[in-house]
Amino acid sequence: MIDYSKKRFLVVDDFSEFRNSVTGMLRLMAVKHVDAAARGEDAIAMCRNTPYDVILHDYNLGAGKNGQQVLEELHHAGLITPHCIFVMCTAESSQAMVMSALECEPDAYLTKPFNRASLQQRLDKLVERKLALKPILDAQAKRDHKAALAACDQVMETHKRFAPQCLRHKASALHALGKHTELETLLASLISDRPLPWALVMLGNHWLERNELDKAEELFTSAISQFPMLPALFDGLAAVHTARGATDKAQEYVEQGLRISPHSLQRQHDLGTLAKANGDYDKAIRAFRQAVDLGRNSQFHNPDDHLNLASSLNEQAGESAPGPKALLEIRQTLGDLGKTWKDDAQLVARANLVHASALTKTGDQKTADKLVTEASSLMADLPTFFSADVALEVATQLKQLGHADKAESVLATCAEMYGDDRRVMEAITAQTSNPQILNAGVQAQALNREGIRAYQQQQFTQALDLFRQARDLQPRNISFALNTAQSLLRLLLAAPSAELKDECLQCLAQVNTIPASDPRHARYDKLCKTVASL
Amino acid sequence: MSDDQAVNPPQGQPAEQESAQGLDFSTVIASTVHDMKNSLGLLMQAYERWSSELPPELSDTAERGMIEYESMRLNGMLVQMLGLYKLGVNQLPMRPNWLEVEDFLQEQLARHDEILRSRHIEGSYEVEEDGLMAFLDTELVGSVVGNVINNSIRYAQSAIHLKAWIEDGQLVIAISDDGRGYPPSMIENQSDYVLGINMSTGSTGLGLYFGQRIAELHQRNGVQGHIDLRNDGPLGGGEFRIYLP
Repeated sequence: MIDYSKKRFLVVDDFSEFRNSVTGMLRLMAVKHVDAAARGEDAIAMCRNTPYDVILHDYNLGAGKNGQQVLEELHHAGLITPHCIFVMCTAESSQAMVMSALECEPDAYLTKPFNRASLQQRLDKLVERKLALKPILDAQAKRDHKAALAACDQVMETHKRFAPQCLRHKASALHALGKHTELETLLASLISDRPLPWALVMLGNHWLERNELDKAEELFTSAISQFPMLPALFDGLAAVHTARGATDKAQEYVEQGLRISPHSLQRQHDLGTLAKANGDYDKAIRAFRQAVDLGRNSQFHNPDDHLNLASSLNEQAGESAPGPKALLEIRQTLGDLGKTWKDDAQLVARANLVHASALTKTGDQKTADKLVTEASSLMADLPTFFSADVALEVATQLKQLGHADKAESVLATCAEMYGDDRRVMEAITAQTSNPQILNAGVQAQALNREGIRAYQQQQFTQALDLFRQARDLQPRNISFALNTAQSLLRLLLAAPSAELKDECLQCLAQVNTIPASDPRHARYDKLCKTVASL
Repeated sequence: MSDDQAVNPPQGQPAEQESAQGLDFSTVIASTVHDMKNSLGLLMQAYERWSSELPPELSDTAERGMIEYESMRLNGMLVQMLGLYKLGVNQLPMRPNWLEVEDFLQEQLARHDEILRSRHIEGSYEVEEDGLMAFLDTELVGSVVGNVINNSIRYAQSAIHLKAWIEDGQLVIAISDDGRGYPPSMIENQSDYVLGINMSTGSTGLGLYFGQRIAELHQRNGVQGHIDLRNDGPLGGGEFRIYLP
């Protein structure tokens, strides 16, 4: 017999009848602590105050968030530990299952109506399972993937019946540790035995990450013939085609995934982005509208959806002015953005440019100019400069608005910061022929390349000298600063020096505006941590 | 609890065809069934609350068992109907997983706990091999087994037995009772029911068809699952078997 008297329960359902009935069943199981909520938003607030042991959550709460969204928010906000039992209660579980993301599944589904015996039987099993998996879950709670991996093998040996769960945790741990070969072997052996949906999706995504696009496509395609109602497989195919640059095909697959599961913010965001790139503004507008809507009161809201909704509405009109309805929606959407993210100067500046572009077409040049001036003064003083993609977009907008000089200045900064990336330089070349911008980095980049060669040959002092020269020429370049910092660190690890440590800290401080979306951000973080630990 | 996304219209159907017909009747039925199921759920909860407050001499009546049993049956039929609709439009999600067979059987009996007790029917289960694991879709196979148990409750005198074992590499789940068994014509013509040819017996025939379709969704190395009806069950009555490769 499991002792439920000390466990804290939360029951979430929009019908008081159901909450009362479940609370009654729990009382009969000797549960003392039962809280109840009618809305997902309330449930999230209650989880901030009480770490619940068990959450029984209805999937479809009518208005507001559904159970899957609540679960994802709880995970994202760290309000739920791996030890908590989350049971999704549904009138019809197939509907909820289609919505669930494989990386954030409830511990169980319970089909309504259910009786006390069913509830207890299910909870008994779940408590028993969580207890057996405790060493793994403890390690996960500490994000210690190495310990989790070891615990998986250990639990599997003592509790053979929980092997399926252990193998799944093991796959996650291998993925987190970047042990690609072992992960691939494990997943391949699992699916050669049985078509395990989560393993199929994970192996497909693994090949996507390894850039094995043909393998990924073959796997996703064959998995879809077996599981046509698994939207993650369509997402996978869309990612394959996006990686190949076939955005039209990618859009088709995202649309198929959305037909199965329309309430996914990420999927609507993806569809909007692809449709906009494909010039399919009708679909882009609808998708971004949905994304904005789904993001309301959610931690997953993304300001880019607002900006893209407004600019898609603007671009849909082509050379002519957007209609009055579209203009109103543009104004409302950007107003909404300005209110929610009012302290983000980057966003306010970008919103101004989109708005100015729409107004120019209506002939209201005066207001448009005012917006551009505001945007420029914000941009002159940005605490963090744009990511390369955003900078390129902003430059295009400024040029279209007739401010070629401002566009050039954005491109110049972009070239200095990201110019060592060939892809970025190509995009800059497409926008300007100004030799000062295009050639400004040539000398520094040559020095940087030489520095890398020296570093690879373990000539750290020589490398440092070359990186320092590159950095002197282009102090805002992220790569040069990181390379200088890394060479300094090499020397510091061999022989401590307060002077070199200071210089290293300065290098890192200079590029502390590196956007979180930048692929080098992880490297930046690691360097910061290492220096701090010296 | 109602949700307009609960039942999607069939995929790939041209829009003109729909507008020409006014509306697609199977979609109408399916979304109505979905609402009916929600409604029934609320009705049952209200009933349960209300009856739990009655003194035992008023609540332990034959009518109570009847209400509980019939609402369970109604629920099972609605689930089956939605399942058949989704099968028809290729929207039935299949999510197989590894599970312990003993847990699965316990779960099926627990769902019918009150009814079995109020009808004084003993529900038991047996798994031939300790810790037997199987790969199947719990929801789908659960709804088939649930409906069969429901049907058995109607005919059983005092006992229902669930049994699971492996036969030629396939998992077999058998539900048997001590009732008078299936009518001989049904055993004889089971292949017709399974193929959806003979539906004259109403819900039982439809149940067999549904069971077969769910079993068929489970396949391995070219072998498909199937169902089988017989009358020489271990308790003397009918026996329903579902084979899952």
